[in-house]
Amino acid sequence: MTARWLGVVALMVLTGCVANSPVVRAPAPVSAPVIHPPPPVVLVPKVEPAPSLPPPVAEPSPEPPLPEKPVLPATPASTLLVSVQAAVAAGKLDQGAALSERALRISPRDAQLWYQLALIRNRQNRLDDAAGAARRALSLAARDMGLLQQINDLLQELAAKAAAKLAK
Amino acid sequence: MTPRNSSAGRHPNSTGPTFSRHIPRFIWLLLVLAVLLVVYRCVWIDRKIRRDFDALQWELPARIYSRPVELYAGVHISPDDLVDYLQRLGYRRTAKVDRSGEYKVNGNHIALRTRGFQFWDGAEAEVYVELTFDGHHVSQVQDGKGTDLPLLRLEPVEIEQINPATGEDRMPVTLVDIPPTLIAAVVAIEDQRFYTHHGIDPIGIGRALWADIRAGGIVQGGSTLTQQLIKNLYLDKEQTLRRKIEEAVMALSLELHFSKDDILTAYFNEIFLGQDGNRAIHGFALASQYYFARPLNELRLDEMALLAGIGRGATYYNPLRYPERAVERRNVVLTRMHELGEITDKDYETAHKARLQVREKVVNRNGYPAFMQLVYDNLKREYNKDALRTKGLNIFTTLDVTMQSKMEERLDGAVARVEKSGHKNNPLEAAVVITDANTGEVRALAGGRKRGYSGFNRALHAVRPVGSLVKPAVYLTALETKNFTLASVLADQEIELKQPNGEVWRPQNYEREADGDVYFYDALQRSLNLATLDLGLKIGVDKVKATLTRLGYTGDAQPYPSLLLGAVDMSPLEVAQIYQTLASSGFRSPLRAVEAVTTADGQPLAFYSIETKQVADPAAVWLLEYALRGVFERGTAKSVTPLLRNHMPLAGKTGTTNDMRDSWFAGYGNDLVGVVWLGHDDNQETGLTGAAGALQVWANLMQAFDIEPRQVPAPESIKYDQVPVTPNHNTSQRDCSSTQSLPFLADAMPDVSISCEVNDSFFGRVIDRFKGVVK
Repeated sequence: MTARWLGVVALMVLTGCVANSPVVRAPAPVSAPVIHPPPPVVLVPKVEPAPSLPPPVAEPSPEPPLPEKPVLPATPASTLLVSVQAAVAAGKLDQGAALSERALRISPRDAQLWYQLALIRNRQNRLDDAAGAARRALSLAARDMGLLQQINDLLQELAAKAAAKLAK
Repeated sequence: MTPRNSSAGRHPNSTGPTFSRHIPRFIWLLLVLAVLLVVYRCVWIDRKIRRDFDALQWELPARIYSRPVELYAGVHISPDDLVDYLQRLGYRRTAKVDRSGEYKVNGNHIALRTRGFQFWDGAEAEVYVELTFDGHHVSQVQDGKGTDLPLLRLEPVEIEQINPATGEDRMPVTLVDIPPTLIAAVVAIEDQRFYTHHGIDPIGIGRALWADIRAGGIVQGGSTLTQQLIKNLYLDKEQTLRRKIEEAVMALSLELHFSKDDILTAYFNEIFLGQDGNRAIHGFALASQYYFARPLNELRLDEMALLAGIGRGATYYNPLRYPERAVERRNVVLTRMHELGEITDKDYETAHKARLQVREKVVNRNGYPAFMQLVYDNLKREYNKDALRTKGLNIFTTLDVTMQSKMEERLDGAVARVEKSGHKNNPLEAAVVITDANTGEVRALAGGRKRGYSGFNRALHAVRPVGSLVKPAVYLTALETKNFTLASVLADQEIELKQPNGEVWRPQNYEREADGDVYFYDALQRSLNLATLDLGLKIGVDKVKATLTRLGYTGDAQPYPSLLLGAVDMSPLEVAQIYQTLASSGFRSPLRAVEAVTTADGQPLAFYSIETKQVADPAAVWLLEYALRGVFERGTAKSVTPLLRNHMPLAGKTGTTNDMRDSWFAGYGNDLVGVVWLGHDDNQETGLTGAAGALQVWANLMQAFDIEPRQVPAPESIKYDQVPVTPNHNTSQRDCSSTQSLPFLADAMPDVSISCEVNDSFFGRVIDRFKGVVK
């Protein structure tokens, strides 16, 4: 028993006698590495806290489906619009909005893109943002009568919601 | 009675054998106590190792990224700008593109393979792409099979970090992300028996000891990777026997409770591999980026061998400073790998001869202090300093690194060219804000004229009178009332105004002459002070101030008449906000520098989305813009039209303050809004008008940015009408012999006293022609 312990101790001593590294050794980093406890806090931003995407806000009446845009696969905007619609269909409204905004950076005068963003903001119950995007779509829609009608319908809906909110 | 000395007499005899009998027991007791202490210490260490290693988590810096480059047919980017961007990402130029992170240039074609990236709105896959350029535009984007690709996005450039207080930086990776060749190289050079020993390696220790004895000094290490990891994680530089023993116990404990893969992963993330200023480079993934500007999976054998080798002395073998030493050490690693059969003869030969290729372009880390101040301003509402320093957040910003770089290259020289001599000891300073004209995203920012200037950020904090930059708000207010049109005739005549303090104010035009009757649009494009006062006083200063606020002004200036001529203080950023609203046709989008924040593993945490709010009538803004385009065509910015002839039309406004203390220009095209301020920090005179100073700098920058012309289609409510070229208040003297076409709101056409259309009868035209001949 004693011999075994002495063996262990001898091994440790022997280990200690040998340098960890030869002559050339890097100087210590500015601060020594440390072991850290598990993260104490969960990071929650104030503005938009949810990494997980919130479900569509409950509405008094069923939401109309996002209108389909004619398929124009050759353009970046139409490609992204397909992704926007897929994200929205999957209930990923934040991602849909982010993709809409990516498309708008590429085609900032595309009324359809602003309208899509307005629809998503409406579903997220961000009424002011929805109204802003819808009005921007309206200013860019020119003579697209169908789109103009859709935008005006949305603006009416937003106005009604805003009035109802105010009444509460 | 017991004799007193009887026991005393016996004592010496009895003490001898008792003492000798107790000595071994005493020693045994001490030994047992010592063993118990050692065991206790070992158990304590064992528990600590288990607990700590289970919870092992590094403090990770927040990484700040630039705006990524989007590639699609028609996108505005030159081949040179794309190559510059690829080099910032550490892409390697090759004759043939085989791997991610490589590109090839062939005339107006560029082929590349992207790396893929996890953005806040989804993952961008790795893709091979061939681009064809037509001048400064991409004309075709295809994959390798000739199929058109609609859109792809390159990785963003990392522009800054917010480091933990420890100064440590690392990019943690899992074992599957580490190339097996790199693992083989590290094991070969540091710990050949890593997979067979139990934390400490007696054979290795013996070999090292023997080598040390033969050399008469310490020449070889006997530490296992496990021991090195322990030393990096826990221990300091102390070389005492006790430390060595504890290190051995810890290594044994670590091996007892955790797998070799766990230990190897921690080692690859923890090891110190270099020092970059006050930033310590830890782990192989970050070292790969630091030395080669590429991820681990793009490294060649020789580069992996080099990284494996420098762990022994990261400063001594620093390949950026001591390339020869680094190559020598690399070859030692290659030789060891070859001896162990880890690499073939051919691979060994190739790698052994390989030329050291460290990063080509110096990463401009911490090179954007002015822009970063805006980022912090945007972030500080949601994140505290601790979160930014330790959670490994990814922060995606709006900075266009190419644009910022071009601005910094030109700004100092452009300012020097307009700077008046005689200010040697008081140099002219500058601030620039460049934003996206449609979304309010800040693309570039300069807080001073020098590159990378990190002092007082004039773009954000130099709050100065804006002079005539305020005038568009006056004219927009008037247009929105529909009582005024572009053809309204204003009185540009001298005026005296009694101020609240009783003094009389006698404003003048810059030319110190009054022009009499002038058209509304002409008064704005020539920046006539007296005509602007005439207009502003008619509509009301308070209404003008309200318009300013709608457009983005946040201050609380008093609504005195002097406000109409720009006696209102703003920062260049605030001016940019106002002009961004005009460029967005009356929709205000708050300026911002951050797009989104994700967690260390790429999960979206916050979106800083595009907000837009209609604050002005788009048709009225369009009419205003007609006059602001005239500023370049006929007005105060005419001097730069030759330089910007390929970019016309553009819209903008000059601004000059009293005694030429501030020189301003704010203008925009379809894609960009730019604001330039020039002045002295001590408010001395610059000797520069807005046109002679800031406009010249603005034009220089916009030429470099290749600004898109301002071409916004007229709203449906806009109609054109003919009005006389010469304005006249007096209806009876209206001269329609020479007319011009101007745009109007359909429900605010020019007054019958002005329009030449309403008198467009044959008789009327004859009279007009006769008037013209007589004249």
